[in-house]
Parts: sequence; structure tokens; C-alpha cells
Amino acid sequence: MNLQDDKELRELLKQSIAPVADTELQRDLWPQMLKRLDQQPVQVPWFDWALAALLSAALLLFPGVIPALLYHL
Amino acid sequence: MNQHTYLRAYMAGITVPTIFLLVVATVFCIGRYVYNVPVPVERVIVFPMAVVPNLWGLWNMLFVALHGRTRLAIGFHGALLPLLLGPLGFALTRILDFPIPHFAMPLLPIGIPIALIAYYLAWKYLVAFLNGTLGIA
Repeated sequence: MNLQDDKELRELLKQSIAPVADTELQRDLWPQMLKRLDQQPVQVPWFDWALAALLSAALLLFPGVIPALLYHL
Repeated sequence: MNQHTYLRAYMAGITVPTIFLLVVATVFCIGRYVYNVPVPVERVIVFPMAVVPNLWGLWNMLFVALHGRTRLAIGFHGALLPLLLGPLGFALTRILDFPIPHFAMPLLPIGIPIALIAYYLAWKYLVAFLNGTLGIA
């Protein structure tokens, strides 16, 4: 393959593959990235921990409720 | 992500009960067919399989629709759902002549607050997470 062939091949490729227009991003993604990095992990208040503990205790003490709960979940 | 808000709310709402359905169906099937529990669960299985997930989806759509107006927290909104599901589930057992086990009725006063707490936590953490992931509410 000589230099002329290379040139022809390049031209053929240019013709067959359309140039990509508008390659720029429509918006800046970096602020979103910073926002995501600044997000705090989920904070569970003590009240919800207490409710979860109460729920667990109630299910242990009254396991007969579990089928009814599963039926409605 | 600004389109089809209600569709996304519906999808976020049905996800949690649909996942739990695997547990529910497994427990019911093992109880019924492995341990031969003499309760015809198959008669009412349609309730957790079809009614409950759809009501969760619709309830989440309602939450999204009311979000700007009521300012009711999602946990409390979800905790109201058992007040609708409970009577519906009970009515279905009556319509289909499902024999409620004798131990279940005395546990009703305990079961109601347990359901409210379970729903409050599930909606506050699971459904709210899904809503956030799908960019709603």
C-alpha cells in the first residue's frame, strides 16, 4: 500500500463517516458531581431507631402478627 | 427526567411490595405445601400479589400529586395506607370465605400499630429513596 492508496483510503473513510456535529456538552456536569459528593449519608433519627426496635420487639413477642403483616405487605 | 412523573411515582411505589412479595409467596407456599398448614392461602394470595403492589403505586402517585399542597411527610403518608389496606384485606377474606386462624383476631389491636410503624419506616426510607432515585418528590 503506497502513499496514494493511503490518501484515497482516508478520503473514502471521510466520505463514508459523517462528521459528528455539536460535540460539546449541553450543560456543565461538574456542579451536579459536586452536589452528589456533598450529599450526606442518610441520617436516621433516634425516634426511627426506637420505632424499629419497638417493631422488632413486637414481632418477637407476637409472632402471630407476622402472617397478617405479610398478607398486607 | 421531567416527563411521566406519575408513571415514575407508580413504579417507585410498586417496587417495595413487589420485592417483599418474593418473601410473602415463599413463606405462604412453604407453609401451605411443605408443612401442610390447613389454611387455604391460595384463596386470598391475589391480595398481596396484585392489590397491595398496585395500591402502593397508586398511593405514591397520590403522594406526588398532593406533595405541593399538603406538605405531609412521606412516612406519615405511607402510614395511612394500612388504614385502607386492612379493611380491604379483611373484606376480601370475608368475600372469599377465607377462614381466619383463631389466634389472629385477638392480635388485631397489636397488629394495627405494628402495621402503621412498619409502613411508616418502609415509606420513609425505602419508597423515599426510590422516589429520590427516580427524581420525584
